[in-house]
Amino acid sequence: MKIAPPTKRIFKLLLFSILFISCSSDLDFDQVKDLKLEPVIVANLAYFDVAANKFVDNGMEQQIPFDVQNFNVFKDQYFRDNLAKAEFNFELENTINRAFTLNVLFLNDNDQILQSIRLAIPAYSGTSNVIKYPTEVFENQRLDLLKQSTKIGFVVIMAAGPPLNENSVGSLKLRSSATAYMVIQ
Amino acid sequence: MRKVYLILMLAFQLTVFAQNKEVLYNFTAIPQSSLVNPGADVSYKFYFGVPVLSGISANLGSSSFSAYDLFANNGVDFNDKVRNIVNNSSSKDKAQANQQLEIFSGGFRVGGKDSQSYVSFGVYQEFDFLAYVPKDEAILALDGNRDHIGESFDLGDINLRAEVLSVFHVGYHKKLNEKLVLGGRAKLYSSGANATSTKNSGYIYTGQMAGTPNLYTQIISSNLELKTSGIAAFTKDEYDGSIPKDVVHNTFFNGSLGLGFDAGLTYYIKENLQLTASVVDLGFIRQSKDIQTLTYKGEYKYDGVNPNFDSTNQPKDVFDEFDKAIPRDTLYNKYTTWRPTKFYSSIQYSFGESRSDDECNCKGKVTRKYVNAVGGQLFAMSMPVEPFVALTAFYKRNIFEKLDFKVTYTIDQYSDKNIGLGLSGTLGKLNMYLLVNNVLEYKDVSKANSIAFQFGFNFVFQNSED
Repeated sequence: MKIAPPTKRIFKLLLFSILFISCSSDLDFDQVKDLKLEPVIVANLAYFDVAANKFVDNGMEQQIPFDVQNFNVFKDQYFRDNLAKAEFNFELENTINRAFTLNVLFLNDNDQILQSIRLAIPAYSGTSNVIKYPTEVFENQRLDLLKQSTKIGFVVIMAAGPPLNENSVGSLKLRSSATAYMVIQ
Repeated sequence: MRKVYLILMLAFQLTVFAQNKEVLYNFTAIPQSSLVNPGADVSYKFYFGVPVLSGISANLGSSSFSAYDLFANNGVDFNDKVRNIVNNSSSKDKAQANQQLEIFSGGFRVGGKDSQSYVSFGVYQEFDFLAYVPKDEAILALDGNRDHIGESFDLGDINLRAEVLSVFHVGYHKKLNEKLVLGGRAKLYSSGANATSTKNSGYIYTGQMAGTPNLYTQIISSNLELKTSGIAAFTKDEYDGSIPKDVVHNTFFNGSLGLGFDAGLTYYIKENLQLTASVVDLGFIRQSKDIQTLTYKGEYKYDGVNPNFDSTNQPKDVFDEFDKAIPRDTLYNKYTTWRPTKFYSSIQYSFGESRSDDECNCKGKVTRKYVNAVGGQLFAMSMPVEPFVALTAFYKRNIFEKLDFKVTYTIDQYSDKNIGLGLSGTLGKLNMYLLVNNVLEYKDVSKANSIAFQFGFNFVFQNSED
């Protein structure tokens, strides 16, 4: 049996050279802890489209009833914990010959009003009547209150003016969106 | 730091790996080369691998980023690094790992002294991982949808598979004549754990369309499916065992079973011009143990809260609606997974006759041996999105009687300057081999897009030692 001595040497050389010429830049795996996701999510908040004749019943003008809807996004703990800021944007379009006020109410399970937003729009006079309201910003305490809400209430109040009947035209439209600023660490 | 790196590499080697074994392929001085071509022109009287040390291979690859890009200690904010990687990746980019560990292996010649038929067998454990970069989901997690109005986030970008399995195999190859070697290998797979989520589709869309009552049109259309076998038990609350132990046990003794085969040939067009081809892991596993399939299928359109001002209020619940529209279903159906099938081919031209240092040519049979060989290899592997293809040029040299050297240059999706080195030597009856690729990257491994290495020890007994 012949062992070529160079074989041994070359093997050693190769092994050691691979182990020792190999280097690595300084890596820091702890950085994973710094991962911070800050997605900004937009979503529909609410809309309605109420025709003028909805304010008339049997020829008699009337206010429309208060409407409460479940609003349970904050039941989700993960969402609640990671929401750093919220913004609501509202837009009303009124093509009815009367002025309106919309109160958007954020309620808790006991129907306590935690937050309310008042949006007013004048009567339609033949020209474009769309109002984009200033952004409602929820941070800190205001955000904490918002996070406790479980329902949204909508109260539409019609101001005095020329009477409406079954044939009155136009409608009151709400469009709105929410922007959620998440910080996930 | 170097030490830390070595430890890390060792750890990786045992946990993770891409699958092209371009240095091992047709490196016939190494018995394990018949695992990548069962028709390789390998000859021995008998051999056996040193248990657990006969074949250790690891292969890591990532087509769009390196460890350095993500973890460099260079003061750049980690979140910026993540964002850069996501921006520079496409949903065709992937991270891959493959690791194999031979538990035992051996082979022997069958028939008489002049027979050229060989049997080889063994058991090895394998880990496979493949994940494509879920680019759209990463952008959604990083940015949210506000700055992507009118765009769809493709849920089909979620695409991954992982498997731990053991493979019991028996192969046979025969040199039919001076020109042709044919071989085949039957494999019994036992899969201890499998997760497959490769057929997803759907989208998350936020758009603004004129003429619609709401500010946004928001649709989630989901066709997501995750199939698992051998994993569901670990996710239960009452599970209090050791996951690694149980995975090992299941892999070897209680796995989902499958069948596969390899086939290959070596053909000498001329004495010094050789063609080879092989197909490896043409097979399937019937996933049947502890199976669980999760699906989220359906479509949901989010309209927000919509008062109707009727005195009859029917408050609706967004979460309930969502759950109804896109329910989470758990199914317990058996499913079949196909093994990633590999295809190799090579052409090799040999030159430079060796000056044999045998004392005498006792048998009087003259077989010419060449010292040098050059050639090219092709590698292809099946993958969910598109096949992986690599081209290799190589040079092989027989340095001494018992020392062979191979250098390869490979171009693939991970790298266009992948140089591999292989050395196989025999001390007495002990055959040792060491194969590494991407050697240029060893000057700073953290910046490498792929790294693979393989080494092992065998005892090989040849005819001449009769």
